[in-house]
Amino acid sequence: MISTRDISKVFNAGQPNEFTALHGISLDVRFHETTVLKGPSGSGKTTLLGLMGCMARPSTGRIFLDEREITSLPERFLTEIRRSTFGFIFQQFNLIKGISALENVMAPAYPTGEKFSTLRSRALENLELFNLANRADARIEWLSGGEAQRVAIARALINNPSIIIADEPTAHLDTRLSHEFMGIMGDLKAKGTTIILASHDPIVYDSNLADRVVEMRDGQVVDGGTAP
Amino acid sequence: MAIVIERHRHIIDFILSSMLRRKGKNGALLLVYTLIVFILASVLFFTHALKREAALVLKEAPEIIVQRTLTGRYQTIPIAYSDRIREINGVISVRPRLWGYQYDSVFLANYTLMVPADNPPEPGSIDVGSAVSRMRGAYTGDIIAFPGHDGLAHTFTVRKVIDGESQLLTSDLILISEKDYRDFSGIPADQATDLALRVRNPREYATIAEKIIRMYPDTRPIVRSEIQRTYDAVFGWRSGLVIVIFSAMALAFVIFAWDKATGLSAEERREIGILKAIGWETSDILLMKFWEGTAISLTAFLAGTILAYAHVFLTSSALFAPVLKGWSTLYPTFRLTPFLDFGQVATLFFLTVVPYTITTIVPSWRAATIDPDAVMR
Repeated sequence: MISTRDISKVFNAGQPNEFTALHGISLDVRFHETTVLKGPSGSGKTTLLGLMGCMARPSTGRIFLDEREITSLPERFLTEIRRSTFGFIFQQFNLIKGISALENVMAPAYPTGEKFSTLRSRALENLELFNLANRADARIEWLSGGEAQRVAIARALINNPSIIIADEPTAHLDTRLSHEFMGIMGDLKAKGTTIILASHDPIVYDSNLADRVVEMRDGQVVDGGTAP
Repeated sequence: MAIVIERHRHIIDFILSSMLRRKGKNGALLLVYTLIVFILASVLFFTHALKREAALVLKEAPEIIVQRTLTGRYQTIPIAYSDRIREINGVISVRPRLWGYQYDSVFLANYTLMVPADNPPEPGSIDVGSAVSRMRGAYTGDIIAFPGHDGLAHTFTVRKVIDGESQLLTSDLILISEKDYRDFSGIPADQATDLALRVRNPREYATIAEKIIRMYPDTRPIVRSEIQRTYDAVFGWRSGLVIVIFSAMALAFVIFAWDKATGLSAEERREIGILKAIGWETSDILLMKFWEGTAISLTAFLAGTILAYAHVFLTSSALFAPVLKGWSTLYPTFRLTPFLDFGQVATLFFLTVVPYTITTIVPSWRAATIDPDAVMR
């Protein structure tokens, strides 16, 4: 379980442009379930995802991952947790242009020092899983939107994460591709992967996939904060 | 250990494909960088090779040479002077030498004529240096003629072509017998060009030189170490001149490299954010920047050094020779003996590769320490 306890996040603290993105959020996200953070832009969904995914530290409050307090861990340990536990799918995919789809998929595992041939074959398997094996050597900018998104998912899965975090994954997809994405998430859930999605797209939060929908507004949880 | 090597290998693979994306920018940087190393290495190699040639020249030179001057101008010296000089304590031997220059107006070259101490050619025959042989097309057994002081042509048979350790020393040399030289140059039988002294103890050079001047006030003793110092100063000054001119160019490069290194583009910053978000540590980013800097600087260093080696030792410094040598154009061409001083190469390496690599890493530190969630916002 990922638990947040009274966490808040302040950006540009002490500056004239100080901004509080989250106000004292306490939330429990159970493993092997799909949790959807729902809410309009600026409601704090992305910030909360970032904090739960060890990308940043809260200004106040504590976060527990499987009952281990992670808020005060040094950056190295946070990175290690991020790399081994989480797979991220970003709103704009955040793929690295100019290099191939295969290299993009392999990139998160580079610092692990895994044997190149093993890593490459696993990355190819991941691409194969999403029918992209024939696009492995294609540069990112040559891919269609749907292909780029699948590459982003393949990249998120390269280190066999137990938790997938996706931020507005359908924001740049049409209806067909959005349903395709939810289908892939369904397959991952069936394999036991924990999925945390942030979205204001009904295709996401109204889908059968969501075990729990947490509604947010103005940096606070307004509905679904406690587990059903 | 294998994991560490694989990690480095992955990161190097990544930066190589990253660098290929910015072919124009990185190619221009590499080109300018190579050019800088090439110029710097050429100057160093050339100066060092010349100094080494000069050292070779002086290795066999006498410890003290005594010349005679008249109103400050050089004159031939009476051989009789050698008898009294030989009696000075510390002087092992005194040898009158016969040598001089010969201008060849047809081939626009200056030759050095010399009567060797050992194994002189028979009267009527000469030994010639490689450049003289090449220029005159004269090889062993051929007959060549030179106009003497009397305007008459003197003919000689080539006994052999000299193949010396230093081309600077031997390329323009003509070895001749004493009799032929006196006939050819008109130097009287009781005169010599100068006197060559052998002195065992270097600490006595100055004292002996002083005694000679007191004995013969019209003489000028020249100590070998003074010649060495003059050579070093001349070549050092010339290379310094080139480096001063070149420093403006090097400064331009430093500004260019600094700008490139510090001015991480928005795209590069975004990529660093992505890499951090997907699980790279700050140290991985810095390692990537280190390898990027190393790949560029090491390639430029190797390319620049190899090109400079070829330039100096294969083309005889075609680009800088006029500035660095500074000799008359009449001097016959010669090729420097290839020689690589590893200390010098190491200095060049530390002056070029290390600063660049550091300048690429340090500014990346700031970009590498951004929160990975920056790419999500």
